[in-house]
Amino acid sequence: MKTIDIFGYSFSAIKLRKLRAALTTLGVIIGITAIVALLSITQGLQATITNQLQQGLSTNSLIVTAGSSGILGGAGGGGVGGGLGGGGAASSNSGFKLYVNYTSEIDALSPDIETSFAVISRSGYIQTDNLNRTVTIYGVDFNQYSQAYSTTFIAASGTIPTNPDENDTVVGTRVNQPGQNGTIYFSAGDDINILWINATTLPPVNETYTPHVSAVLQKVGGFGIGGPSDTGVYIPINKAESFFGTDECDMIIVKLKSTDNATITNVSKAITDHFSNQVSVVSSTAVLSLLTSVFSTIQLFLGGIAAISLLVAGIGIMNIMIVSLIERTREIGILKALGMKSRTVLTIFLGESVIIGLIGAIVGIILGWILANVTARVLGSGVFGGGGGFRITPLLTPEVLLGALAFGVGVSVIFALYPAWRASKLKPVEALRYE
Amino acid sequence: MVPIVEAVNVTKTYMLGKVPVEALRGVNLKVETGDFVSILGPSGSGKSTMLNLIGALDKPTAGTLLIDGVDISKLNDNQLADLRRRIGFVFQFFNLIPRLTARDNVELSMSISNIGRAQRRKRAEELLETVGLKDRINHKPAELSGGQQQRVAIARALANNPRFLLLDEPTGNIDSKTASEVIGLIKKLNVENNVSIIMVTHDQHLAREAKSTVQMFDGQIISEVVNNQ
Repeated sequence: MKTIDIFGYSFSAIKLRKLRAALTTLGVIIGITAIVALLSITQGLQATITNQLQQGLSTNSLIVTAGSSGILGGAGGGGVGGGLGGGGAASSNSGFKLYVNYTSEIDALSPDIETSFAVISRSGYIQTDNLNRTVTIYGVDFNQYSQAYSTTFIAASGTIPTNPDENDTVVGTRVNQPGQNGTIYFSAGDDINILWINATTLPPVNETYTPHVSAVLQKVGGFGIGGPSDTGVYIPINKAESFFGTDECDMIIVKLKSTDNATITNVSKAITDHFSNQVSVVSSTAVLSLLTSVFSTIQLFLGGIAAISLLVAGIGIMNIMIVSLIERTREIGILKALGMKSRTVLTIFLGESVIIGLIGAIVGIILGWILANVTARVLGSGVFGGGGGFRITPLLTPEVLLGALAFGVGVSVIFALYPAWRASKLKPVEALRYE
Repeated sequence: MVPIVEAVNVTKTYMLGKVPVEALRGVNLKVETGDFVSILGPSGSGKSTMLNLIGALDKPTAGTLLIDGVDISKLNDNQLADLRRRIGFVFQFFNLIPRLTARDNVELSMSISNIGRAQRRKRAEELLETVGLKDRINHKPAELSGGQQQRVAIARALANNPRFLLLDEPTGNIDSKTASEVIGLIKKLNVENNVSIIMVTHDQHLAREAKSTVQMFDGQIISEVVNNQ
């Protein structure tokens, strides 16, 4: 029997019991929808975060923090990049601290190092007549910071000074416009109060000064992982040292001349050796690799949960096909009496499962994609702060697309194997006698 | 010419639970091309077992059964299926596929034999015309009378140009007027188209319509007579 005739015959059998076939297919649809929705959202999230990180952590940069523990933030709160930092100066359990002038020591460690610069960060407040807002204050070298983050540390209004005086400051777009809804509390050219609570003395003292806003940054978006943040206030490094009363820094960013792995490894080792393993050196490659690994685990976990629903659908298929087999015993006897071979009977039953799996998978992929987009829209508009700019764009990779298709059809076929095999093994004499 | 059926000392034993039941006990039979033989017997005489063996649906326990010159004991499942394509089955209960139209039912046996769509469609329509159902080709079995369904079954049985038609109580499930029309069609196919026919029945009147009658009783052939036509 020709393949097209086999599928035609299978389809006619499905068409006869439309409701039953539809309900069986629904199981596959739900499973595939769940898989596609979860995986495309997760992959979209991964792509978004990876993209954020790549903006924040340029591939030719290393980030040195005090302490030897962890990639995302060593002991004492010195995190990767500006966004995650800000909890106070980093310090390791051993008491080791990073200082601003260590940059010259680092510069001398390897000819592969182009330059290095320190970042000091503290939690603080900015105040105007009608705004009092918590921010993270970063002390940075404007020139070097601009070069390191050339795609994000860009002025939307005003100018980032190349030779700043201590009263110059640059703010993120959500500092002067917190709601991102058109209400602007101050602009480039205005003066603002910057305040932090100095708890190193007893009693704690409010330290404040009134700089001039030289520039408001373009919207960076996202979490601000690494590099400039929409909620950051940037002041010159020398002013930060005097304002915070310390030359201890949270991190030192090292710019390399090359991005190859050997250079990253060698320089990282040279720095850790130099500081007797009391610092953590993080490269974007390592962070991205860790993230990829974390997301792979998440995808496996979520995909696994969704796959369970598909297995339930598979059992439904098996159940229905066994019922169908019993109902059609006599029909199978007729087909065999007409000369149909056992393997053709097997193919007819498997053909029915392929049709159910294929329709279920295609509809499931479409619904999953719609669900992913709706979910991403809801998440983007609510949970992550609306205008905050954190948008997940669901990603339907060819791997997920083809994988879902193959999985839907595969599960259907696997669970139909037993009923199909039983159908093919029916003895024509007994099948014809079946009432 | 090779006989279409040649049975030599054929026996068939079934196990009914743990009890062996001898359904056929040393049957000898020869049916030549062009014959119209009826196998007559009461219930339990072994005629249905004989039908299953001649139809290559089952194998004998002992003895030799040659169908179209082929010893079916030596065939595997696939070879038996191939052999069945050369046999035209007509069942008492028609055994049409309910969801298929008359034409699709006739086409089905040809599609099993890998015949192309255009060719089988043309032949199905010709055969349905031959059995007098030209205007019923798109009707499903439920929309046809018993006699019409049996005609579709005959058209289906003829589709692959079989070596012989094997009829199982072909008029057992239709009224007497329709039955005489169906038997008339069968005789016409035998006489005019030289189609060999083996018919299994318990109806003596029907059996006498064949050229010869083989009488079975208790798993054996007890007589073989030529009928006066």
